[in-house]
Amino acid sequence: MLAIEDLHVSVGGAAVLKGLSLAVPKGEVHAIMGPNGSGKSTLAYVLAGRPGYEVTRGTVRYDGQDLLGLAPEERARRGVFLGFQYPVEIPGVNNVYLLKAALNAVRKAHGEPEVDAFEFLALVREKMKIMRMEESFLSRGVNEGFSGGEKKRNEILQMLVLEPRLAVLDETDSGLDIDALKIVAEGVQSMRSPERSFLLVTHYQRLLDHIVPDRVHVLVRGRIAVSGDASLAHELERRGYDWVTGEAA
Amino acid sequence: MSAPLIERIAAEHAATADSLPSAVVPRARRKRALDSLIARGLPTSREENWRYASLRALERVRFAPPASGASGGREQLPAAVEGFARFVFIDGRFAAELSDPTAPPGGVIVDLGSRAAGTATIPAEPDPERGDEGAFALLNDAFAVDGAHVRVGSQRTDHSGTTAEAVARVEIIHLASAPAERGASYPRIRVDVAERARLELIERHVGPAESASFIDSAVELRVQAGAVVEHFRLQQLGARALWVDTLSASVARGASYRLHSFGFGAQSARSTQTVRLLGDGAETGLYSICTGDHRQVLDSYALVEHAAARTRTEEIFRGIAAGRARVAFNGKIIVRPGAPGADSSQSLRGLLAGPEAEIDVRPQLEIYTDDVRCSHGATTGKLDEAMLFYLLSRGLDRDQAQRLLKWAFLEDVVARVAVPALRRQIETSLADQIRERDGLKELL
Repeated sequence: MLAIEDLHVSVGGAAVLKGLSLAVPKGEVHAIMGPNGSGKSTLAYVLAGRPGYEVTRGTVRYDGQDLLGLAPEERARRGVFLGFQYPVEIPGVNNVYLLKAALNAVRKAHGEPEVDAFEFLALVREKMKIMRMEESFLSRGVNEGFSGGEKKRNEILQMLVLEPRLAVLDETDSGLDIDALKIVAEGVQSMRSPERSFLLVTHYQRLLDHIVPDRVHVLVRGRIAVSGDASLAHELERRGYDWVTGEAA
Repeated sequence: MSAPLIERIAAEHAATADSLPSAVVPRARRKRALDSLIARGLPTSREENWRYASLRALERVRFAPPASGASGGREQLPAAVEGFARFVFIDGRFAAELSDPTAPPGGVIVDLGSRAAGTATIPAEPDPERGDEGAFALLNDAFAVDGAHVRVGSQRTDHSGTTAEAVARVEIIHLASAPAERGASYPRIRVDVAERARLELIERHVGPAESASFIDSAVELRVQAGAVVEHFRLQQLGARALWVDTLSASVARGASYRLHSFGFGAQSARSTQTVRLLGDGAETGLYSICTGDHRQVLDSYALVEHAAARTRTEEIFRGIAAGRARVAFNGKIIVRPGAPGADSSQSLRGLLAGPEAEIDVRPQLEIYTDDVRCSHGATTGKLDEAMLFYLLSRGLDRDQAQRLLKWAFLEDVVARVAVPALRRQIETSLADQIRERDGLKELL
């Protein structure tokens, strides 16, 4: 599904990713862990196509195609979804409008007609139930005045509606209390399928108690320092990142 | 402006003075206005407050009003807003056949200058001492052929002793049809709102797309103690029109005057607004949107004077300049020595939507008392990159995302229009402005 080879990325002239290689097969959930500043969020942004992140070397293939050559909106339409660490507030654009515009953009790319208004509302209501969100949320501005937890839930709701094939979730667990964490995890779990892959970027292991990953990779100074199965996350939690950063040094 | 222009104005006035109705403005007063105007001249773009205004087009204007009998069709009028009595003027003259003055609620009386027996109903004489802002009001005084005087009486107490909450609702439409070479139009409105009375006033300036008209409007409002006025102004003139506008309002103790301005049209538009907060606790809200494209020049100057204790101002401006348009908003607030506890906030934001567009927002404060709270923020810039990327990452087209963000940028002001049918009309116009009628239709 996703194959990253020797990826080098600079931000503002400074090298952040320095030869990262990673493969996420179809249907698998991979976690990217690592200390602050190791390049986790940069990886997430590069996959989504954020401007200002310069790829100086390496390739990223998605379904065998060159992902880096595609505009951000084109990536989204082909099924790449980024759950933002800090979702942006857009006062004046309501949630339901954005959800519908986003869904129709994906459908259009697949040659499908615009979604029927009633079907759409039924779909959104069903997904909102999973995320335990109030109906009133639909008419509010995108993320406007949302708490940190509400913003993260909104990211997952968008993911549920858009049904991406590759979901990159950037620190979706940060700033969540335990109840919100469970809701978010349930949302992600409900989406796991043999056809869909996940890349979970996280600093802490606690999200991985709820979403057990197939593989865990530890990112240190712009490269994968160590990879393992789900037990690696627990080991990190016990021994701290110093254990890996020391070894990688 | 050049001396020859003033001479021409004087000559045209002399030639038409006999035909100008003295019921609207007495002859002696017209003469005084003209003399004051000659003495001080028209403003020029060399003056600080007129830097952005584009007055060169005045050269081709015939200042005398066009001969009566101008035609205008119902199809040029916007859809009616339910509950509002409608008064239509064409080239400054009342057009009974297009109006629908059915008994407006709230005890409102609308007198029409051309039909008035006396002169008492007509706007107060412009003050020649008022500086450059008054020049075009004087011009209006000299040439006006008609006017509307909206009077809203005090709230009556009904039999049970409770105060009726009736709101007077009036819509005044000025349709400009004559090209500037044939004559100018001088819309003229005076509004008197008695103590504790309430008024919602819609004022529109419209014109056919192709008509290069010159419009010089003068509007004066007096809001008495405890009264509440919501004033919605829409400038949707044709793309070749030249509009100059003078609005002045005085607000008494505990009264509230909120002005919602939407400037979409005209080749060149200049609006000068003065609000005086004269009584304890008087408040005003100035909410403006200007969207310019092509070579439009849209310039506003808003002056608020805090002359009494605990007076409050909230000012919000949102401007978008696309193409080679120039959009400017200068918001000046003066707090007089007699205004302790005054509170003002200004949020002025401009959005540049084209590499050759120009936008300028300026908050200005003059404070002569210590006990005040004045906050202001002014920014101009391009669309927020983080917001744009967020929308793109959800699959939206770049075009669509940009238009959506422009829409969102204006929403602060639009959301305050508390008349739903009018708000929908404004939203539709805005969607047209940002060329996204279909794409935004679900927001409407």
